[in-house]
Amino acid sequence: MELIDTDKKTKKKVISANNDREKKVLIAKPCARAADVLDFYKISTLIVVVLFAVVTAIPFIIMLSVSLQTMKEIYSPELAFIPKELQFVNYAKAMKNGAWGRYLFNSVYVTVIVVIISLLINSMTGYVFARIRFKGRNFLFILLLVGMMIPPQVTMVPLFIMMKKFPLAGGNNIFGAGGKGLINTYAGLIIPFIAGSFGVFLCRQFYMTFPQDIDNSARIDGCSRFMTFIKIYIPLSKPVLASLGILKFTGTWNEYNWPLIMTNSDNMKTVQIALTMFRDEAEILWNQLMAATIVSSLIIYALFLCLQKYFVAGILAGSVKE
Amino acid sequence: MQAKRRDGLNQIYQKKEVIEDSFFKGRASKSRASGNKVLKNRLSKDDREAYIMISPFFIFFVLFVLVPITVNFVNSFTNYNLGKTRGFVGLENYIKLFVDRDFLRSLWNTLIYAAFSVIPLTVLGFITAVAVNGRAKIFYITRALFVFPYVTSMVAVSMIWLYMYEPTTGVFNKILISLGFEPLKWLFDEKLALLCLIIMNIWKNIGYVMIIYLAGLQSIPENLYEAGKVDGASEFKMLFKITIPMVRSISFFIFVTTSIESFKTFEQVRIMTGGGPVNSTTTIVHQIYLRAFSEYKMGYASAISIVLLIIIFAITMMNMKLGKGKGQNDEI
Repeated sequence: MELIDTDKKTKKKVISANNDREKKVLIAKPCARAADVLDFYKISTLIVVVLFAVVTAIPFIIMLSVSLQTMKEIYSPELAFIPKELQFVNYAKAMKNGAWGRYLFNSVYVTVIVVIISLLINSMTGYVFARIRFKGRNFLFILLLVGMMIPPQVTMVPLFIMMKKFPLAGGNNIFGAGGKGLINTYAGLIIPFIAGSFGVFLCRQFYMTFPQDIDNSARIDGCSRFMTFIKIYIPLSKPVLASLGILKFTGTWNEYNWPLIMTNSDNMKTVQIALTMFRDEAEILWNQLMAATIVSSLIIYALFLCLQKYFVAGILAGSVKE
Repeated sequence: MQAKRRDGLNQIYQKKEVIEDSFFKGRASKSRASGNKVLKNRLSKDDREAYIMISPFFIFFVLFVLVPITVNFVNSFTNYNLGKTRGFVGLENYIKLFVDRDFLRSLWNTLIYAAFSVIPLTVLGFITAVAVNGRAKIFYITRALFVFPYVTSMVAVSMIWLYMYEPTTGVFNKILISLGFEPLKWLFDEKLALLCLIIMNIWKNIGYVMIIYLAGLQSIPENLYEAGKVDGASEFKMLFKITIPMVRSISFFIFVTTSIESFKTFEQVRIMTGGGPVNSTTTIVHQIYLRAFSEYKMGYASAISIVLLIIIFAITMMNMKLGKGKGQNDEI
């Protein structure tokens, strides 16, 4: 009993001492009134968070709700967030409105190939720039940085011409005339995404943090640079590959401009292009459109939720200035 | 796996220590001019291996980034229109730009779009970042929520907002009517359409700005706030006197990246408005697209592309010149 009592007493003492100190501070700066303002600050941040969260979430909720409504409900003048009856049939109908299996396959195929190839060549190039001091390194690196600044929208027109005039492809002769070139081919859809230099930059940043000793010691064991990269660097680069992978994946999956100009046959459409087909119809079937929108975004959301950490790390690494 | 790898590395380290001195110290000091024949051979072998390893990337990079930009530059001085002969017309394309009303309108629209996207994005993104910069669980969840629009494709986002803006069935008009206001024409209204696109853009990209600011906020040394507390400063005062000055260079970076992004605006214009009504939402990239792929004026479209490139380079250069040496976040 006594123990507890004394404990309480000492605690009280400590607390009162603290209060005294706080009081002194408050007396010294009467305008501050720290305790009150702190609460007000916390409440206001909470209000901001809730408000912004609601504003962010509403369009998504509307998308989900519309995808489960009938067209009749959509046309009715009242605002209805919750559909009377969940119309899951909209999803099935939307997927039959056009060859959605094919579109999804196209998108997955293009994206997966882009991700695999860019992970391979970007990490290898990044490693070389981070670790090997070769002739012309600075020049090539500056070239690469300049290339990073060139937006794809600027090279869109000449790239299209080059793809159309690609020699010995799609019925073209060796001078690139006569046929359609790489238009409406997977190669045409994939190639420009591999050429971006952002990934090299990202990997280089990452490999720069490795101790130089790793290379030196691998060398003593008779490892060539390439083998050092494969055997030592690759197993250690899961974070950077995950970051680059998810950024490349979302970037390629979400791309609209390039597939728009590169494809005109229904067979080669990616999901983003296919979505806009609903828009082009005389009467827009909003419920099917929203259902298709959700289907096309699900893979991105799943990936984002799993690899959130790496996604953010990738964005931040790209934002760091050279 | 991990343990095995570590063992391997340890072995490597141990071996390394035995022979470290003689050979690698020399190499580490970058003495290229050394007359040591072995070293020289070694270096050139390194060079060769480096070139081989970077060649796959550089083949793609040269062929599909550097060559196109050069082709673009050359084409901008021609009247090339796919198929027919490519005639040199000098600066004609560029001179035409100055009297092309569509292009001038698109330039103006893009400027307005950029200005009215960037400023609210920076301010609102900052507020969001400050608000969610806590350790409670609600903050973690909302942080992820704010990034959702950013990872959603522009096509999907455009579709959602297209529905919400729709005059007859859309959500906004239903709300306006239920509150007793006159319904608006939103995207079909010449004066409102660009604003509609701007609002959507802000909604989509706020998560990106928040991510960058959050990283900035977390890199501010904690002791500054402790010192502030001891001095009896309120949280709001510290926000203005400590936080905002400390994230100045980040704000500048965000200003630059979001303006560059705004100058590349195309998808939402093509999907939602098609540049209309009466060219009130056409943007630079939309003009490039129209000239090149509906009129096949490749030369003219190339000239517009070069103008866009110059604008973007100017913004980037401004970033390099002005963005350096301000605030604390200038690590490599």
